[in-house]
Amino acid sequence: MPLKYDGKCVVCNLTVKKNEVGFWSRGIGVKHEKCAEKNIDLKCIICDGSVGCPSCEFIEDCNPQAVSPLCICKKCEQLEDPFVSYKKTVIEKFPILNIKI
Amino acid sequence: MMWSEKYRPKNFLDLIGNEESRKLFVEWFTNWKKGTRPILLVGPPGIGKTTLANLAAKQFGYDLISLNASDVRNKKNIHEILSPVLGNQTVLGTPMIFIDEVDGVHGRADYGGTEAIIKILKEPTVPIVLAANTDSSDKMKSIKKVVKTIEMKPLSPKLLRLCLNRILQLEGVKIDSDSLAKLVTKSRGDIRSMINFTQARATGFDPPTEKSFESLDIEEGINAFYKANSTVEARSILYSLRIDPREKINAFYSSIITSKISADDMQKFLQVISEADMLYGKIMKTQQWRLLRYLDAILLGLYKKDIPIRYSKYNLSWPLLNRLRWDGTKIKSIIGSLAKTMHVSKSTFSTLYFPYLLYCIKNKKIDLEFDESLEEIVQKEVALIK
Repeated sequence: MPLKYDGKCVVCNLTVKKNEVGFWSRGIGVKHEKCAEKNIDLKCIICDGSVGCPSCEFIEDCNPQAVSPLCICKKCEQLEDPFVSYKKTVIEKFPILNIKI
Repeated sequence: MMWSEKYRPKNFLDLIGNEESRKLFVEWFTNWKKGTRPILLVGPPGIGKTTLANLAAKQFGYDLISLNASDVRNKKNIHEILSPVLGNQTVLGTPMIFIDEVDGVHGRADYGGTEAIIKILKEPTVPIVLAANTDSSDKMKSIKKVVKTIEMKPLSPKLLRLCLNRILQLEGVKIDSDSLAKLVTKSRGDIRSMINFTQARATGFDPPTEKSFESLDIEEGINAFYKANSTVEARSILYSLRIDPREKINAFYSSIITSKISADDMQKFLQVISEADMLYGKIMKTQQWRLLRYLDAILLGLYKKDIPIRYSKYNLSWPLLNRLRWDGTKIKSIIGSLAKTMHVSKSTFSTLYFPYLLYCIKNKKIDLEFDESLEEIVQKEVALIK
């Protein structure tokens, strides 16, 4: 739709000008028509594989370009205790977060 | 206890999402030395900016000095608060400054505050952490030139669900997958509101499925508050009802004053309203917006289980309101013309002369001729005299 106001594209960070055709979603922001076409697939923090955003059940309510870049894939969600696995992986990949002073 | 407090992260690992940003933040703290550029955390509400700063102070052993938008409006205030901290560290231990909602000072509300902050940011002698929801304003652009910016993004629904499932598991609460998905998507990446909303849902209160508390209007909010089954639930609703504080106090006042409750309850509730009103008055007078956090705690005193209070927009009964609206205009016009004739002000006439005039009409000591419509009103007023 033609946008009513100037805005900052959540994908490329450039300005989407007033009257330019773009996409807007409440709570997410605006993006250029071209930027919206780019398919971004988030990475799973546990297995490093692709999360499979296009087929994700939350795709309607999630903007992969605007959210925290590491997510969790369906397979890893079904692990025995996915939360513990998530924490273990964070310790392995970001050891500095386990800082003890 | 509120879950959002109970499950507040206790170390950097307890946080969820924004792993890279967290890493950069901890690295900055680890390598901090005098003169290191301050840090600016930018991101939407409820994703852990304030928690991150609090954790840093705790884990790195700093004495946290927290300020928010209301403290940094004017230069004098900033100097009063920060000069002792920046000048003499030995007296105050190892201070760290955290300025929350630094983007919250807008236009004319800024009495030189931003300028004073930038000056301090240029020569930091203690670790300084700033937090903002957005960084697009001109003021933020000038702040950004002297700080290191770390962007924090909202969490993906799947990460939110992972966190929520963990809390539900620890609480021993079961919520069906559809409701869980709804709770996750409605929070839009705001972990705090998601937890609050889930707690309200799990403790038995069934909120409207299409809306979160944050989008409840005042009518639904007040009604939900008085329908709550426990103080915890009522608190959760009250804290999530984000509307203008003046409007909030007024809505409670009009709802209470028009309800049929016992005189004791009425007295107790009006006392609470008066306390809330005094606090708001103090905030407005001194512009100490940090005190606003206590308003909801005071208003929680208005909760009593099963009390028959429902939302009412008007603080007077309908018959009285109607009379004020329709008859009031006509009485005003009578007073206006008679005050002129008597060479007194409208206010003097209505206070002193008009009741006397009505007595005279009632006792047939005076006979005034009015228009037909005005005559009717005068007769109504005469009839009301005891």
